Amino acid sequence: MRYFDDKPELVAAILAKYPPQGRRSSLMPLLREVQTALHYVPAEQIEEIAEIVGVTATEVRAVMSFYSTYSTVPQGKYHLQVCATLSCALAGSDELWDDLCETLGISPGEVTPDGLFSVQKVECLGSCGTAPLVQVGELGYHERLSRQDLHALLDALRRGEYPGPHSPLPVFVHSGQQEDAAGARHGAELKPLGENL
Amino acid sequence: MTATAPRPITSGLDPRFALSLYAHVGEQGSWTLESYRARGGYQAARRALSMDPDRIIDEVKASGLRGRGGAGFATGLKWSFMPLKDGRQHYLLCNADESEPGSFKDRYLMSEDPHQLIEGMLIAGYAMRATVGYIYIRGEYILAAERLEGAISEARAAGILGSKVLGSDFDFQLQVHRGAGAYICGEETALMNSLEGLRANPRLKPPFPAAAGLYGLPTTINNVETLCAVTHILRYGASWHAQMGSGKSLGSKLYQISGPVHRPGVYELPMGTTFAELIEDWAGGPTEPIKAIIPGGSSCPMLPYQQDILDLPMDYEAVAAKGSMLGTGGVILIPQNYCIVNATWNLVRFYAHESCGKCTPCREGIAGWMVHVYEKLVRGQGRPEDVDLILDMSDNIAGKSFCALADACLGPVQSSIALFREEYDHLASTGQPLYPRQSRWLGGGAR
Ligand SMILES: Cc1cc2nc3c(=O)[nH]c(=O)nc-3n(C[C@H](O)[C@H](O)[C@H](O)COP(=O)(O)O)c2cc1C
Ligand code: FES
Repeated sequence: MRYFDDKPELVAAILAKYPPQGRRSSLMPLLREVQTALHYVPAEQIEEIAEIVGVTATEVRAVMSFYSTYSTVPQGKYHLQVCATLSCALAGSDELWDDLCETLGISPGEVTPDGLFSVQKVECLGSCGTAPLVQVGELGYHERLSRQDLHALLDALRRGEYPGPHSPLPVFVHSGQQEDAAGARHGAELKPLGENL
Repeated sequence: MTATAPRPITSGLDPRFALSLYAHVGEQGSWTLESYRARGGYQAARRALSMDPDRIIDEVKASGLRGRGGAGFATGLKWSFMPLKDGRQHYLLCNADESEPGSFKDRYLMSEDPHQLIEGMLIAGYAMRATVGYIYIRGEYILAAERLEGAISEARAAGILGSKVLGSDFDFQLQVHRGAGAYICGEETALMNSLEGLRANPRLKPPFPAAAGLYGLPTTINNVETLCAVTHILRYGASWHAQMGSGKSLGSKLYQISGPVHRPGVYELPMGTTFAELIEDWAGGPTEPIKAIIPGGSSCPMLPYQQDILDLPMDYEAVAAKGSMLGTGGVILIPQNYCIVNATWNLVRFYAHESCGKCTPCREGIAGWMVHVYEKLVRGQGRPEDVDLILDMSDNIAGKSFCALADACLGPVQSSIALFREEYDHLASTGQPLYPRQSRWLGGGAR
């Protein structure tokens, strides 16, 4: 089954983002489309993308293998990624990971029999201030995740309900003022240049 | 400076200090054009478009702004390397790959207040005669990418992007390009290869990007925070910016703190604020005894958690004088009872995973041997001589790799051994860590 044949506008919009000599730049956006829709990039789509971009399938594979997002084997409907890097480890990501794998009964590379879940340990996701976290595929981050939160999330996903991302802001700003640890607010008002002239 | 020049602002508690970068983070709808315009958005771009491009570069130079992506290179100087209008396409790239462990500031700039980045890119593009810009955002930043795309569409519809920006003669096209999970894409030349649809191996420099960058054409690349700061410099003036900071590190900066503190997060503070102020006054202090501090993201050598370090101003030179780096300003605290070998192994594993494999010292040294020896140690299967072996390998890798990734890995390795040799020796000779692993998942954020 070809993926892009009935999506000419999408392909055109992606190609239009880059200059004619940069046709190859469309490779990653096209791969992302397929990965997001099918949860992996089948061999047929590798050929298809190679054709669109004007390179060989081997070149597409070489690019794919460089990045951790693309998969050549099917992943679960919900691909759960756990950050294992230092700030997350300091907030218990090792335990989170063990709990997740035990609960689902799978290891990386496997998919639960119902096709719902796969798991992957990943590196720093830029949520070090709201650690630990799970990223649900293309859907969103679930940060500052407790054991109870994790199980509530899994239950919802099993019911086929994605509860929406959970990303509390680790920032203490209110209307232009920053709150210190004692609760006092700081921050002067700023006047644009023109208003002083 | 004359004798009457005002004292520089070096504390977030100074009543003269005003937030700029994060002033509206967390406000409902702060990412919309309507909200941005209501607070004077795009007036700085209007002002810039009425100026001679070279005067903008002068103003950025006068502000003292240095790149916020980690290296601290003077932004105005970097811009002046771009060729004058020479008939070729010039590119402006925004580095939004933010993948250095401990760094999480650019993310909220883009998800909460993306128009200030668009405005900064407009100004930078105009100054460098670049009419096309790309924002290379790491693939995992889903919300930030959506908000950016939304903001760009709004700006296009309002005549702020596209042809004849804000009614001027300047054209500027801006696109978002999403990455796919590879730390090395943050290295500027690797980013260009990635954007061209290639494997993200770094390129040999020279030629530098200003001479031959994206598609071989003149290119300048700046970090998200750098470009946002440009907006505020054009809005509030170079001298406003230069009045904050210490030494040669000027302006307002987003510091991040993670690890066991009461309020981990991002704090906007003037450069030159001390570590103690960040940790105690803003983050509420540690939740448990601390032994080491990583001052600016995982690549920066660890420093001991002691008074002379805590009293340091967070500026590039002051931190360098102690043998580390300010990097991205991402502070990580390492608790006393967390095995330092385990903590360092965590980072070595990171660099090993992210090594692109192009050069031998990094591929064989870091991704091969270094991570292997650490794994042995952490599993309790090390030998006493392994610690010297790590140091010996480090000496052989240092300064010999193609890009800075391998040296970045050596930051935590060499510093942790210098500071906590007894922990390494204990683990290597007995197979037991001085600080055994304990549960840290506090109900996951009952903090
Ligand atoms: C391995 C490596 C990773 C990097 N990652 C990033 C990054 O994620 N974001 C960033 O802005 N700069 C990163 N840098 C620095 C960039 O190469 C470059 O110096 C920076 O984007 C320049 O922008 P600035 O002058 O505004 O700081 C990285 C450098 C190296 C060597
Ligand atoms: S270390 Fe996990 S998000 Fe940064």
